[in-house]
Amino acid sequence: MRLEKCYFCSSTVYPGHGTMFVRNDSKMFRFCRSKCSKNFKMKRNPRKLGWTKAFRKAAGKEMAVDSTFEFEKRRNVPVRYNRELVSKTVQSMKRISEIKARRERAFFQQRMASKPEQEREQNIKEIEKNLHILSTPATRAKVEEERVKIVSRNTESSKN
Amino acid sequence: MGRLRRSRVHKGIKDVSKKYRLRRRTKDLDQIHNDLGTENQETPQLPLDEDLPGLGQFYCTECSKYYTDQNSLDSHKVSKVHKRRLGQLQEYAEAMAQDASIQNGMDEEGLSGSSKSSLLALTRKNNSKNKA
Repeated sequence: MRLEKCYFCSSTVYPGHGTMFVRNDSKMFRFCRSKCSKNFKMKRNPRKLGWTKAFRKAAGKEMAVDSTFEFEKRRNVPVRYNRELVSKTVQSMKRISEIKARRERAFFQQRMASKPEQEREQNIKEIEKNLHILSTPATRAKVEEERVKIVSRNTESSKN
Repeated sequence: MGRLRRSRVHKGIKDVSKKYRLRRRTKDLDQIHNDLGTENQETPQLPLDEDLPGLGQFYCTECSKYYTDQNSLDSHKVSKVHKRRLGQLQEYAEAMAQDASIQNGMDEEGLSGSSKSSLLALTRKNNSKNKA
């Protein structure tokens, strides 16, 4: 049983599902569902649509390179059945998916690590823009103080 | 009771539905990208073809389109449609280059080397940012 990958969204295409398009230069394109094949016919770029794997990897939302991906590959040489090998493979599949999940989690946490800092800077920018709404001199002074802090920190980091 | 059917849908738009038929499919960007790679090296004489506009002599490789004469080809080459296509092709080439660099485990800060992992690269990037 061969599980294909959808050309558009990179999801798994099980036998009996989806459609295939063969271009006149004999390149094959497999699609998991009509959504993907329609988008392909409209010549949309999967890298520009947020719901595809291609987008998520290109935009750094997910791990793009990892050794755990090496196991999932198209292999054109059939392997002779061997009971021991199968049991080992099943064991290692579980282990690999564990490792993969752990790495993905770590990746997510690393990606989110700079989020509070970013949000803080954004908030201060917004407040600065709408400073006229904040009336009291005390709040203005406080905002100014925060801004100076951030600017000085940024200049320091750029110096380093 | 009034009518309950939806009044108008886009089903009847003929030119749109015909455009997306696979038998009318035009060349994809990757095919054109390959064409450009081969055809820029030398400009061969295009073969005469009676079925094509202008006997197939006035061809825009980027847009994979035949024109009837030199004038219309020239005016096409300065048009917005052509320029848009040039932009798309460049974008495609950049995307391919980015993919290749990702596959090689490289990233823009040169944090490559032995580690072919985007997790490691991201971790190092964050660490270096925190230190700075």
